[in-house]
Amino acid sequence: MSGPAATDVRLAPQDAPGEVARLISYVALLAVSAGLFAEAWAIPVSRFETLGAGAFPMLVHGVLMLLLAGAAIGSLRRLPAGAWTAFAAAAGHWVRTRRLVIVVFACLALYLATMPVVGYPLATLAFLAVLQVTLAPKTRTAIAISLVLALLFSFGLNWLFAEVFNVFLPRGR
Amino acid sequence: MDAFLSGAAQVLAPATLLYMLLGSIAGIIAAAIPGFTVTMAIVLTLPLTFSMEPLQGIAVMLSVYVGGYTGGLISAALLGIPGTPSSVATTFDAFPMARNGEPGRALSIGVWASFFGTLISTAVLIVAAPPLAIFAVRLGPWEYFSLIVFALTIVASLVGSSLQRGLIAAMIGLAISTIGTDPILGRPRFDFGLEVLAAGLPFLVVLIGIFAISQLASEVEDADAIKRGEKLVQGEISFRTWAVMREVLMRPVNLVRSSLVGVAIGALPGAGGSIANLVAYDQARRASKTPEAFGKGTPDGVVASEAGNSATAGGGLIPLIALGIPGSAVDAILMASLMVHGISVGPRLIMDNADLVYGMFVAMTVASLMMLVVCVLSMKSFLRVAEVPKWVVVPVVLVCCVVGSFALNNRVTDLYLLGFVGLFGYALRALDYPLAPLVLGVILGPIAETNLRRALMTDGDWSLFLTRPVSLVFLLAAAASVAWAVRSHLTARRARDSAKESA
Repeated sequence: MSGPAATDVRLAPQDAPGEVARLISYVALLAVSAGLFAEAWAIPVSRFETLGAGAFPMLVHGVLMLLLAGAAIGSLRRLPAGAWTAFAAAAGHWVRTRRLVIVVFACLALYLATMPVVGYPLATLAFLAVLQVTLAPKTRTAIAISLVLALLFSFGLNWLFAEVFNVFLPRGR
Repeated sequence: MDAFLSGAAQVLAPATLLYMLLGSIAGIIAAAIPGFTVTMAIVLTLPLTFSMEPLQGIAVMLSVYVGGYTGGLISAALLGIPGTPSSVATTFDAFPMARNGEPGRALSIGVWASFFGTLISTAVLIVAAPPLAIFAVRLGPWEYFSLIVFALTIVASLVGSSLQRGLIAAMIGLAISTIGTDPILGRPRFDFGLEVLAAGLPFLVVLIGIFAISQLASEVEDADAIKRGEKLVQGEISFRTWAVMREVLMRPVNLVRSSLVGVAIGALPGAGGSIANLVAYDQARRASKTPEAFGKGTPDGVVASEAGNSATAGGGLIPLIALGIPGSAVDAILMASLMVHGISVGPRLIMDNADLVYGMFVAMTVASLMMLVVCVLSMKSFLRVAEVPKWVVVPVVLVCCVVGSFALNNRVTDLYLLGFVGLFGYALRALDYPLAPLVLGVILGPIAETNLRRALMTDGDWSLFLTRPVSLVFLLAAAASVAWAVRSHLTARRARDSAKESA
C-alpha cells in the first residue's frame, strides 16, 4: 500500500495502541464467532420448518464475522509503523493506571466465589469492608463509615430481603 | 372508560402512591450521584417489585425513571458533570448559570422543564399508542423482523463513535441471545454441557453486568479522584419556585418543541434521552434570536435540554406499549418487569390489559407530579447525596447489583455469570464499543429469530421481506440509517483532515 491515499488513513502515533487493542479484540471475537458458526452448522435441520435451530445463529455469526473481518482489515490499514512496539509499552502503563479496577474485579471474583460457601452476610461483610477500606482515604472516620455500611448492607440487607420481600439470599453450606 | 378508571384506581391506591413517592425520591437521589445512571437505579428497583401487583411494580419503576431523569440535573447544574448521559446538554447552560451565582434558578428551571416535558410526552403517549397498537396487530412476522433490523441499525448508528463497532456490538448481543434453548422447538444450543448456559443467559443479569458492573469499574479508573472528596454545593441556594415556573411557561415554543423532539426520539428504538437532550438543545439554539447566549447560562438552553430528555420517558413507552419493542435499556427493564409478572408484551397488551396500560399513563402523570413536589420541597436535602464519595458508592452498588441478579431467579450460577459479563462489558467499554446496541441485541434476538422462522414457516419465499410494503419501508429505513451514519462519519473525517492540513 503506498501513495497519499494510503497514508491518509493512518492514525496518529498516540492513537495506535488503542487501535492495536481493538484489532486484537476483532481477531479474538472472529475466532469465537467462527467456532460458534461451525457449532451451529452441526445442529440438524428440523423436518417441521424451512429453517432449523441453527439457521439464525449461523446468520448472526456470518454477519458478525463479515463485520469483524472488515473492521480488522480497516484497523490494519490505519496502524502506523511501530504501532506494536508502542502497544507493548502502553499496555503496561494502562494496567498500572487501572490497578484499582483490577482490585475491584479481583475482590468481586472472590466475593462471588465464596458467597455460596460462607453465605451472603459474611461474604458481603468481608467484601464491603475490604473494598471500601482499600478505596477510602486512610482516616478513622472513613474506616468507621466503611464498617458501619458493611454491617448495614450485609446483615441488614439480608434481613430486609428475608423478612420483607421473602427472598432468601445464599445462606452458605 | 372502565379500564381507565380501574387503572387509575390501582395507581391512586394509598400503598401504590407511597411506594411511588419512595421510588421518586430514590430515583432523584440515585441519579444525583455521579456515576449512578437512571438505568442502574431502575435495574436495582426491579427485584423489589417482584412481590408487588404488576401495575404497582410498573408504577414504582416509572416513578424511579421520571425522578432519575430529573436527578441527573443536580450534578449537571452544580458540578458540570452530567449525572446521567441524558443531562449532557444541561451542563452547557445550567452549569454556567450556577457558576454565575444562580444555582437555585438553574435547578428550578430544570425541574419545571422536566415536569412539563413529561406531561407533554404523556399526552402524546395517550393519543399515539392506542392507534399505533391497532396498526401493529395487523403486522406480520416479516414486518416485525424488518422492524428489529431497523431498530438495531439505528441504535448502532446513533450510539458511540463508530458505526462498525455499534453493529458488531448489536451482533454480539444477538449472538448472546442464541445461547440456550431455541425459541421455536426448544432445542438446546451452545450450552457445552454447562448448567449455567442451558437455560440461556437471563437478559437482566446481562444488562446489570454490561451496564452497571462495567460502569462501576470504570468509576475507579482514576485512583486520585477516589481519594479526593470535593464538595458539590457551595453557597446559598434559592429556588424562587413560582417565579421560575412563570419563566419556563413564558417559553412555550421552546418547551413544546423540545418536548416533541424528546417524544419523537424516545419513540425511535434505541435513541433515548442521551440523544434527545442534545438534539433539543441544538434545535433551540438554531431557532433562538440570540444563539450566541447559548453555552453562557441562558434559561432557554436548560429548558430545551431538560424538557427534551424528560419527554423521552413517554416517547420511549410508545413502541413498548404499541409494538412490544423496547426503545431503550430502561424500557427493556420495564418490559422485563411485565414479563416477570406473566404479562406478555406486544401489540395485544393494550387490548388484553387495557387497565394496565391506562394505569401506566396515569402513573406517568402522577410520577411527574411527585417528582415536582419532592424536588420543590426538599431539593436542598437531596443535594447532600451528591457529596457521597465514590469509595462508598462503588462497593455498595456492586453489592446491590449482586443481590438484584440473585433475587431474579434465586440461582447462584447467575452470580458467576454476572461477574463474567461485567468483566466482558468493562473490556468492551475500554475498547470503545457502544454497549446499548449489545443489550438491545440480547433483548431483541429471540423476537427477531421467532419472527424470521415464523415468516418462513408461513411462506418459504424470502422475497416477501422486500415485497410487503411495511417490511420494505423498515428495511429501507435501516439502510438509510446506516448510509446516514457512514456519510456523517466521512464528513467528520474530511473536516478533520482539512483541519490537519490547514494546521
